[in-house]
This record gives sequence, structure tokens and C-alpha cells, in this order.
Amino acid sequence: MKKALVLLGCPEAPSQTPMAVYSVYKLTSLGYQVTVASTPSALKLLEVSDPEEFYVKNKIDIESCLENLEEGSFDLLVGFVHKDAAVSYFVTFYSILNTTSIAVVFERDPELLENYIESIEESTDATIVSARAYHNPTPLRVKFDRALKKLED
Amino acid sequence: MTFCLDTYLRESENYEILITRAGFKECKQLIEKHAPETIHVKAGEKILGVRIIGIPPITIGIDENKGTITLPYTKPCYGTSVVELPVDKEEIVNIRSLDIKSETHRI
Repeated sequence: MKKALVLLGCPEAPSQTPMAVYSVYKLTSLGYQVTVASTPSALKLLEVSDPEEFYVKNKIDIESCLENLEEGSFDLLVGFVHKDAAVSYFVTFYSILNTTSIAVVFERDPELLENYIESIEESTDATIVSARAYHNPTPLRVKFDRALKKLED
Repeated sequence: MTFCLDTYLRESENYEILITRAGFKECKQLIEKHAPETIHVKAGEKILGVRIIGIPPITIGIDENKGTITLPYTKPCYGTSVVELPVDKEEIVNIRSLDIKSETHRI
């Protein structure tokens, strides 16, 4: 079974948690065994959103995950990026895993959004899904679906 | 027992934070300006027991006279800090051996 890692950043942006649950749902339906790596605060939001673990079955603390990460641990990396620190985390996970990756980049400020995209483009070959989004996950969801479809084709 | 940076920062006061809650690029520039010697490592390289997080090549500062290293330290909700802390000579040798020796290295 293919394995995917969904990497969450700081849960400050409202779009992240619903997009995290949605991405796990989509990836599971595509046959991936999905693990979500997150901070304890992002994990709390996931636990409340999906109390019976109907969607998110495998969760791990981001630091423990990073500590034990090796090339080949996952077949796909999906990282949520809406802060400078999340760019660093995504690029680091990408560098270690050296696998197919999708960066879901979102931010209200267009200049910051562009900076995050540029940093990821300069350091990785990841597919970038980006939108000026904060509360509304729909633009990200639509673009994420397109990126997954492209990946599967 | 091996050295662990996370534990050291929690339990010791013998370190200096040069900047906190900053962007990674700003931290990189600060290390380059602050340290008399710099090396560059891959993202995820283990230094002092923790994986170094950032955009490669990640700059690590060395001050052999002071016996310190300066490195970026990133947490998801708090951005990147730059920390200078004392290390023994043997550790400086270990850290130098991780140098990827290229300013334009791409993983």
C-alpha cells in the first residue's frame, strides 16, 4: 500500500484543518495509507473535527516524525504552508524523503504568498498548489483536486 | 549520553538567542554576519542530536576562539530563532565534517 504523509503547520489559519481532513479523505480514497504529522495544537483541532477517527486514523507529533524520518518512509508528501516556518519544515521533510511532493501554500498577503512559493520553487521540485486563502478553503480544495488528478494520470 | 539540543535549551541558560520569531532568510543573514566562520549543511542534517530545519544550504556559524556554534532553530508556530551555544572542540570538528562546501547546493 502506498503511504502518504500530510504535514501540518501552525493551526492559526482556519483553512488548514478542513483542508487537512479533506486531503486525508482524498488520499485514502486514492489508496494511500495516510499519516498526519502536526504540532499538538493542530492535532487538537483534528481530534475535535474527526472525533471517531473516521478520516484521520494515523497521527504523529511533527518533531517525533522528523526525528525518525528517512528516505523512502513515504511515497507522497503533502505539506501545508502558510508561515515562514512551514516553508522550512516542508523543504526539510522534502529533502529527507526525496519523494513526490505537493506543497499547499496559502496566505492572505499576496507578497508573503509569493515569497513562500518562490522559496519552495527554489529548493524543491514539488508541485505547488497555492491560493490567497485564509478562512475559505474552497480555492485550495479545487486546486488540490486538480494536482491529485494530475498526479494520478 | 549524547548531547541533545532540545534538552540543552530547556535545561541550561548557557546560550544566547540572537534573534527570535524571525524568517529563515533573515536568520541566515544574521549567522553569516555574526560568525567568523560558516559552513553549510543539508536540510534535516543532525547537529547536536536534532535535525536542522530550513532551506538548504543551511548556514551554521562557528567561532573557534569562543568555542561556540550559531545555528537556526525553527518551531512551527514561533518561526526561526538564531541560537549561539558553547560546544566542545570535538563537536566543532564533527560539525565541520558536515559542510557541503557549496553555496548553491540543491537537494
